[in-house]
Amino acid sequence: MSNILQKPGSKVLLMGNEAIARGFIEAGGGFASAYPGTPSTEIVETLSEIANSLGIYVEWSVNEKVALESAYGASISNVRALAAMKHVGLNVAADALASISYTGVKSGLVIVSAEDPSMWSSQNEQDNRYYGMLTYVPVFDPSDPQEAKDLTKAAFDLSEKLSHPILMTPTTRVSHTRSNVILDEIKPPKTKGFFLKDNSRFGLVPANSRTLRDKLINKWNSIKESLENFEPYNRIENIENGKVAIIASGVSYQYAKEVLNEIGNYRLIKISTPYPLPKKFILKGLEDIKRALVIEELEPIVENQIKNIVNEEGLDTEIEGKSYVGYSGEMSLDRARKAIKEFLGIHVKQTNIKKLNLSIPNRPPSFCPGCPHRGTFYSLKRAVNSLMIKPIFSGDIGCYSLGINSPYDEQDIILEMGGSIGVANGLSHVAENQVPIAIIGDSTFYHAGIPGLVNAVYNKSPLLLLVLDNMTTAMTGEQPDPSSGITAMGEETKTINIAKIAEGIGVEKVVVFDPFNIKESTDKLKEVLSYVIKEKKPAVAIAKKACALNAVRIANKIKVEIPIYQILENKCTGCGICYNAFACPAIFVKDDRKAWIEPSLCTGCGVCVQTCPYDAIKPVKIIDKRWDSIWE
Amino acid sequence: MGINSKINIVIAGVGGQGIITLSKIIGDAAVKENVKVLVAETHGLSQRGGSVEVHLRIGDVYAPLVPKGEADILLSMELIEAARNIDYLNQNGIVITSDVILRPPIPGVKLPKKEEIVSEFERNNIKYYIIPTKDLSEKAGSYLSENMVLLGALYKLADLEKFISIDSIKESIKTMRNPEINLKAFELGSSFITGI
Repeated sequence: MSNILQKPGSKVLLMGNEAIARGFIEAGGGFASAYPGTPSTEIVETLSEIANSLGIYVEWSVNEKVALESAYGASISNVRALAAMKHVGLNVAADALASISYTGVKSGLVIVSAEDPSMWSSQNEQDNRYYGMLTYVPVFDPSDPQEAKDLTKAAFDLSEKLSHPILMTPTTRVSHTRSNVILDEIKPPKTKGFFLKDNSRFGLVPANSRTLRDKLINKWNSIKESLENFEPYNRIENIENGKVAIIASGVSYQYAKEVLNEIGNYRLIKISTPYPLPKKFILKGLEDIKRALVIEELEPIVENQIKNIVNEEGLDTEIEGKSYVGYSGEMSLDRARKAIKEFLGIHVKQTNIKKLNLSIPNRPPSFCPGCPHRGTFYSLKRAVNSLMIKPIFSGDIGCYSLGINSPYDEQDIILEMGGSIGVANGLSHVAENQVPIAIIGDSTFYHAGIPGLVNAVYNKSPLLLLVLDNMTTAMTGEQPDPSSGITAMGEETKTINIAKIAEGIGVEKVVVFDPFNIKESTDKLKEVLSYVIKEKKPAVAIAKKACALNAVRIANKIKVEIPIYQILENKCTGCGICYNAFACPAIFVKDDRKAWIEPSLCTGCGVCVQTCPYDAIKPVKIIDKRWDSIWE
Repeated sequence: MGINSKINIVIAGVGGQGIITLSKIIGDAAVKENVKVLVAETHGLSQRGGSVEVHLRIGDVYAPLVPKGEADILLSMELIEAARNIDYLNQNGIVITSDVILRPPIPGVKLPKKEEIVSEFERNNIKYYIIPTKDLSEKAGSYLSENMVLLGALYKLADLEKFISIDSIKESIKTMRNPEINLKAFELGSSFITGI
């Protein structure tokens, strides 16, 4: 049995995201939706695995905006609902969020935006606590997995009590840290409700919005009041000690706590509600305090609010924060230690760091052995070289972003989800004698790519859209998407055909190719690129092949042996095309420059065979007849 | 707070080598013993064959990450990754690493040789143990059990006993697929250290 369903009182190891999922079911949540994105994915992934046994509804939505709108729909029909996304996903959902605070909610609605300071897997490290300020939505920020669970439950209760959405912003070190969690009772979920019509509240035409705006300002005061007594999430430790205080928000509390364990029990004010800060609580924390240091990641959200409170009250307490802590990147123990010690005037000892006198090569992530993207990028390079055109590779967010690395170098621009097509649209009208090629995956195409393609057809933009359709959301761990034919809860559903979408929109040239066939891929790509240049119209090419991780999983499940390939020693000349230009991580170079295929890594895609000019790569055994169909 | 009230372990490797499973086994065992544990993983992009690090802290700990220069143990599934992460090690820290070297799939990449890495460990007076994880895992019955070989060596060398009993570790291993192979791999890792 998964740890998430253990009985109340159990002590289990849970990842922060799993703990949020447990908090949701302890709160009797009935509806959960998300678009996958690191570090948020495991929240709804965990719920999808237990959905059928609990009878709750769980979906992978097509994007974050739809996920939030859907969760809102459930909430205003009296079912507790959660929408999860990564921080940049909230940009997509922000349009909905900014208006939801006007109408408020009925049953609890909690939006989880998993933040990624240090950008372990993101394009920026924006601080979404600002969205709380922008949209009048309270922000809760847990400090560890136990608190992530408990705070989720508290957020549902409070959201329902206040009829207002709540935004949770766990960071990577909460979402992706496993720790001891004590479980509470699972509340039987309420999964069906009734939407009681009230268009003066839910229909945001200007006349209604003006009234609701004034109501929201009044409501905000009661929201602030309700956070005044919010123990243990907001609390003052070592209150007997005055003069100086450390104030820490979210995961930074854990770093501050450990530093104070090392250097002495100064007063520590723990914040789990960075916005809005409860004023009376803060004033109580600042009693007998001359100087206080705020430890928080990214922007000075707590710091600035405390400075405001101190100003309003005419206190002479000195508030410091970013000048000691800095802005960029996630918190660390030495960063917190240095900031606190410098603030207190304690000498900071340099730690001795061991260093080897070696040059150690980077190990960036790369396409997996058998990844169909490798064949696509290899063929795309051959096609543009053979046509002698100047391509601009307008890239997007997904595994294929790794095409930015050598030897491919086929991602010139990467902005945000779906951005490849919009940017290529602009390029296509301006960049002279260059050919814009937008490169996007299936999940990202459904997410935010379709409007870009409509725009390109409508505005007659000469660009090639290349869709890498591996029938899954691969980067975040193979969550099903509209190309998969299966839902989050494991039910069969329609597969939404990308070629038909393109044709329906009015693209006149649409081709589908098999990226495992280098000749076919190169020929088809040349054909569509020539069409774009000659006809000055958009075209679409779709590389369709399963994600290798999924294919190998299916093969293991149905007991089809993976056909491993080997190098024929006598034929290999050591030319290096397979390991340098095709660059499969299963192919290694030996001291004599000849290639070697590592059997434990080879996934039997066989594409390297086609890249070898000397016919030196052969399967070890006869290939199972079912092998090809696994990749369809 | 006593000097040995906590243990800091940094686990390094390449995405797909099973270091997250390895850290979960220890984490589960710690929870069973009612000992505070923090297992912080860095993945996402990195699961695609990139460098991966897991920070594992046991005992009187709050912060999820081990600072540079403060790891008691650097445990690595790959030799180059051990060398890359040496800056985490504290002054008396020890390196426990597989002897496996995996070439990053970068055209024309130059790799340090095993002998070069070892001589750098020695020049810096670093206490190290190099474990033939591949051979021992194959002896256990599957090359997929390399991580359990390393866990066996870790349990012998680190002061883990103070926090977690061997029975709890074995109970955790029994929840894995192929428990017999994995338990055997764990034993082979342990007895390799005993045999040194």
